[in-house]
Amino acid sequence: MPDITHEVKSSWADEVEEEGGALPPPSEVYENGFKILTEYKYNDDNKKVKVVRTYKIERRIVSKTIAARKAWSKFGDSADDRPGPNPATTVGAEDVFMQFISNKEEENKVEDDSLDKLKSMGDKGVVKCRNCNGDHWTSKCPYKDTVLAGGKVPDDKKPLLGPGVPSAITELGKPQGSKYVPPSMRDGGNKRGDSMQMQRRDDTTAIRISNLSESTSDADLEELVKPFGLIQKLYLAKDKQTNLCKGFAYVHFKFRAEAAKAISTLNGYGYDHLILNVDWSKPPAQNN
Amino acid sequence: MKPLMLHGHERAITKIKYNREGDLLFSASKDKQPNVWYSLNGERLGTFDGHNGSVWCIDVNWDTTRFLSGSGDNTLRVWDCQTGKEIGQLKTNSSVRTCSFSYSSDLVVYSTDKALGYQCEMFIMDVRDVDAGMSQEDAICRIPITGPRISAILWGALDETIITGHEDGEINIWDARTGKKMNSIKGHKSQINDMQFNKDGTMFVTASKDNTAKLFDSESLMLLKTYKTERPVNSATISPILDHVVLGGGQDAMDVTTTSARQGKFDSRFFHLVFEEEFARLKGHFGPINSLVFHPNGRSYSTGGEDGYIRINTFDQSYFDFHFEY
Repeated sequence: MPDITHEVKSSWADEVEEEGGALPPPSEVYENGFKILTEYKYNDDNKKVKVVRTYKIERRIVSKTIAARKAWSKFGDSADDRPGPNPATTVGAEDVFMQFISNKEEENKVEDDSLDKLKSMGDKGVVKCRNCNGDHWTSKCPYKDTVLAGGKVPDDKKPLLGPGVPSAITELGKPQGSKYVPPSMRDGGNKRGDSMQMQRRDDTTAIRISNLSESTSDADLEELVKPFGLIQKLYLAKDKQTNLCKGFAYVHFKFRAEAAKAISTLNGYGYDHLILNVDWSKPPAQNN
Repeated sequence: MKPLMLHGHERAITKIKYNREGDLLFSASKDKQPNVWYSLNGERLGTFDGHNGSVWCIDVNWDTTRFLSGSGDNTLRVWDCQTGKEIGQLKTNSSVRTCSFSYSSDLVVYSTDKALGYQCEMFIMDVRDVDAGMSQEDAICRIPITGPRISAILWGALDETIITGHEDGEINIWDARTGKKMNSIKGHKSQINDMQFNKDGTMFVTASKDNTAKLFDSESLMLLKTYKTERPVNSATISPILDHVVLGGGQDAMDVTTTSARQGKFDSRFFHLVFEEEFARLKGHFGPINSLVFHPNGRSYSTGGEDGYIRINTFDQSYFDFHFEY
């Protein structure tokens, strides 16, 4: 039952003349299997509007009882309705499609895909040292505990959603300049010490999702990113008082390839009436 | 598919039901008028005017001559289907939560809420010559429910038994003649919202607030299958032609405003009857689905939602072409 609504073209002079509400009477035409209903009415802007509705008339062979019921006269609030559906109560909804959920086979396929990608990538880019950007784990960096590392790490360290308060402050997106930096976070601090090694997170697998809607919850976020792979850590920035989402989140994946996949898929993805912005997690300085 | 949206109710839909042939669809909502629609084109046949409160339960008899509705205005009413006129009504002590015609439609079973100082009670009534002078003293059988209230009801085979689902997840079978409890199991962890038979009545599916729907044997109450979701299930229905179960639900209506209307929450979810695995979803409502029924021919199904709309979804060929791989 497609509805076609368009305005009747009339000059302003005619409109003035017709003021007082002389609308043409509605008409009902039967034409080779179609019923065409034409109505005139004023819309919200007080403009005359012609509404044409086309119904397809179908004949069906049904049992006697059903045919008899079809002939029943309407009652209650529908007593005054004409034959056929009343547009006030019956509306053709938008097209919807059934989403068939892929079963195990396809899931495996997806996994294979990411594995292949990983293989094709080789060692390059999968492991990246945060100290010297070399192709090795940070903990195995030959420059560990040298000046080079000392100079580089703090920049990289900032976006890390480190434990406790400092990271929270970073998340809140406050200006970084004159902020108090605890000694442990300062350049040359003892954060390269073995005790801190545990708390370091490999931010090469971290992605930043922004333009999330206010109502996003941790569970929603998890649901959103879970399909891409194993997740090490989720951080959804929330307002302290209202506990509403502040619009962005960081997700640490286990593998960089999966993070890359998440970025390519989710960037520009429409989620909850907003279009997501997804990229590698960068130090706040670069974001600003 | 292009569903038909029926907008005849001002408030949340509580229950929808097809008649036996499936050409009419009855609907009840928290407003006061049950409606009846032609299921084929969504045309409204009429409204049943008279109730003064939310209508919680409806039923229609085998040959679509009489329609039954129970409401929060403490009445159970019997209507003439063709004219929409009230034939008779029955005053109760508290709101009528569930009601059902027996297969012969001579008898009616209904249950009342535990409220206003009255306890939950189940009544079996002969409604062949119902009129205004009828009271619940005329009940053939009156069973006080001491435990949690009844939230779903079904007639068992040959109108000999009554199956009740309770607020705490209990399922009981009663002898309709003597009113004795014959069998009782703890089927769910939380309230049972809906119970529906399969086509031949040998099994029924329960929908519960504990996020699951379960399939039980109607005779022995043996648990056959469990369908798990992440949200409360408000209604579940079994396809009459395929091994499919459709679950409808979503978050509690109470919590909807505090969270987002994200996709996936208010979908109809299709499970395989035997393998308990979800294989498809269908979007539609903007609120939780409160009631969901298959058309008796299995080629379409309807949902009634908290958003006040009823949607008649007629399946595309793709649904019938889909084969569950195992």
